[in-house]
Amino acid sequence: MLMDVRNLSSWYGKTQILRDLSFDLQQGQCLCVLGRNGVGKTTLMRSLMGLCDKTTGSIRMLDNELVDVPTHDRCKEGIGYIPQGRQIFGKFTVRENILLGSFARADGKTEVPELCLSLFPYLADNLDRRAGLLSGGQQQQLAIARALAVNPKMLLLDEPTEGIQPNIVAEIGQTLKMLNKEMGITLILTEQHIKVARALSNAFLMIDNGRIVAHGSIDQLSDELVEKHMTV
Amino acid sequence: MDYSWVTFANALLLGLSIGSIWLIAALGLTIIYGTAGVINMAHGELIMLGAYSAYCLQTYLGVSYLLCIPLSFVIVALFGLVIERVLIRYLYARPLDTLLATWGVSLVLMQGVRMIFGNDPKYINMPQFLSSNVSFGPLSLSAFRILIIAMTAVLVGAFWYVFYRTHFGIKIRAVTQNKEMAASFGINSQRIYMLTFALGAGLAGLAGSLFAALSIVLPNMGTGYIVQSFLVVVTGGGSLLGSVAAGALTGEIQSVLAYLINDTFARFMLFILIVVFLRFRPQGLFSAGATRR
Repeated sequence: MLMDVRNLSSWYGKTQILRDLSFDLQQGQCLCVLGRNGVGKTTLMRSLMGLCDKTTGSIRMLDNELVDVPTHDRCKEGIGYIPQGRQIFGKFTVRENILLGSFARADGKTEVPELCLSLFPYLADNLDRRAGLLSGGQQQQLAIARALAVNPKMLLLDEPTEGIQPNIVAEIGQTLKMLNKEMGITLILTEQHIKVARALSNAFLMIDNGRIVAHGSIDQLSDELVEKHMTV
Repeated sequence: MDYSWVTFANALLLGLSIGSIWLIAALGLTIIYGTAGVINMAHGELIMLGAYSAYCLQTYLGVSYLLCIPLSFVIVALFGLVIERVLIRYLYARPLDTLLATWGVSLVLMQGVRMIFGNDPKYINMPQFLSSNVSFGPLSLSAFRILIIAMTAVLVGAFWYVFYRTHFGIKIRAVTQNKEMAASFGINSQRIYMLTFALGAGLAGLAGSLFAALSIVLPNMGTGYIVQSFLVVVTGGGSLLGSVAAGALTGEIQSVLAYLINDTFARFMLFILIVVFLRFRPQGLFSAGATRR
């Protein structure tokens, strides 16, 4: 088992957002976290990265307990984070953004990995361009490249297709599928596009009001569930 | 006084030297403010500590002056490290409190030094060759001022290199841009802040060791320099490039106005010009662009 989360609760200030979440994840799985806006999907991602004000419970990754490990040491366990809104470093060049990801590598190899360049030829051709000048889709590619530079066992993707034009959505979907199926990188992603979720993942978590209300393999994700917990 | 192009050129040269002094005083402040957003009111007293370090090293240990300069850097950097660990690190989220806290530190330092060394001025001996005048054709400047200009150039170059060409620099700039994302990629922002604070303090110490030889060493010598340093940082906008430009510009304005009229008037006009400038461009010459904290 790659990750085992038990009774995870999370707070912003004094407001509790997540209540007693428990789930586990096998190596090579792709888990999709579903739910309406504001139910705690992003908070779950941030809790896994240690970015919430207070988090209790247990997050075990390959037998290491992470819940009290500070954020800057968590990525060294092999977690690459692709946050909502991408949050690339706009004043850095493409190269610096990717290099930064490689600082978190366990083996200390600080260089732009070949994989990032071959996956994203546009980035390879524009390494010295300021990242802030890239389009939304290119920034998303850069965010993925930066997370891949960590040499991750697992990627956390928060709304990877949000606000990106449809033809790029398909492209990013392809890339993620390749990373998951061929490279064996475990994925946890939050997704609004139910189609993308179904095509990519093999398991799902449905969150409503800070709790897990349904989970299982992706073929158990019935239209009724989607209807009940995702339609506004 | 007669005005001629030679004396005017000399004033420009002197302006360069004044600018370097202000810039070297402001460098540490720039780095601390630009990275951690801490407005370090104790910066002037760190300069003063640097001056006293150089004085003690020379008077009690007989260290040669040129060696006192790097040693003052190390001593005050360590001192800055201690202040950061016991005080500043708890205040990063509260910029206004750092203002008060560091002001408190400055008072403690000033009074502490006064208690130990007394109120009478101390002097530093510099090597003979530094007190001579160097002439370039009709222009002349003291060798010591040339040393300061050279030192400033070297330090600015070194800092540009560290900030923009090393992995450590990428880490510092990443923390400045987005602390959470920097942390998500393995950068320990607390450690970066600590090191930058120590670095900034060390630079103040180095500046102090230079100023010690430029004039006399007094417990309250920092107060004058801190005003100047803040002028440079605020006018420059908090970035390294901004401070360099602001240092050069204010130094030249001061020197030229002092040459045309007199020192007091130059100071007066400089302040007015800066106030007017900031009225129209509050973000400074080259804004670091980071969100105002």
